[in-house]
Amino acid sequence: MTNTGMTNTGMTNNDHVRARRMLALADAGELPAADRAWLESHLEACDSCRAFAQDTGDVVRALRSIPVAADRTLVAATQMRVRLRARELRQRDERLWLVGASCVAVTLAAAFTNLACWRGFTWLVERTHVPAATWPVAFVALWIVPALAASVLLLAKGTHLADHNS
Amino acid sequence: MVDEKSEIAQGLRRRDPDLLDRLIEQYQHRLLRYLMSLTRNRATAEDLFQETWIRVLERGRQYDGKHEFSAWLFSVSRHLAIDFFRRKQPASLDGLLEDKDKPMDPPASAEPSAFDLVAHRELGERIAAGLDHVAAEYREALVLRFQEGLSLEEIAVVTGAPLGTVKSRVYRGLSALQPWLKGIRG
Repeated sequence: MTNTGMTNTGMTNNDHVRARRMLALADAGELPAADRAWLESHLEACDSCRAFAQDTGDVVRALRSIPVAADRTLVAATQMRVRLRARELRQRDERLWLVGASCVAVTLAAAFTNLACWRGFTWLVERTHVPAATWPVAFVALWIVPALAASVLLLAKGTHLADHNS
Repeated sequence: MVDEKSEIAQGLRRRDPDLLDRLIEQYQHRLLRYLMSLTRNRATAEDLFQETWIRVLERGRQYDGKHEFSAWLFSVSRHLAIDFFRRKQPASLDGLLEDKDKPMDPPASAEPSAFDLVAHRELGERIAAGLDHVAAEYREALVLRFQEGLSLEEIAVVTGAPLGTVKSRVYRGLSALQPWLKGIRG
């Protein structure tokens, strides 16, 4: 590729490089008319670039003729895998939607329950004359104690299982 | 009227299995040929073929419908191939992972034959064999350009290389294959 076959027709090395890059990089239809005309006139005058054009054309034709075909089994297996995966993803999306909807429902229910309990405590405090500083503590305890109890139970169960396994 | 690219993008967002069936049928040969050019191994190429379509299903929302689907598809398969070779054979796709030009492997021997001159199939086989000796990044550029018909700009998108580098790879790749052609001609 380094021998550009300089001729005595006033061509420079750059002309050969330009012609060869055009031949390699552009299909004939992609070249602007002016470049195409220049290339044609260059090829008429330059034997080595004409040979390069011939070789490039042969290589490109050979490249395009190399047969690589996917067989029917591969295509069918791929389509089946894709369909199965699509179904898995759809089921996962549905589960996620269900979890999301459940979270929203729980949050709303908790908000309403909280409000109702708060009002209930207020009413109870008014009736029983409990000191004002005490009842908020009882209210918080009402919410925290079940979670604490559940955590302690779960921890105890986990420790028991770990001991049992070891 | 919705053009084909937008239609594909919408279908991929819906994870439409019928659309994927059609795309697999439509791009089967092109994708497998491209993967063969990357891996030079049919079994690996077939594995990656299946993985590519699973990835297309999972990441289909990333296709924007503005570029050619084939370019995006090749880009997805290219990433999978690179990941595969990083895991299995770190050295074999070095050319695709790096952006430097590598020396080409010249044909080991040229055995001219008069019969070869006229045997078109033989010519294809020789060039196919020549491809095995061309650096991976040149081989990829040649396959995308001349077998898959992608433009130089689309190849730049698929490979993530600058346009100038893509031009250089196509030019050098063609030049690297010419000795194989001459081997046939004697």
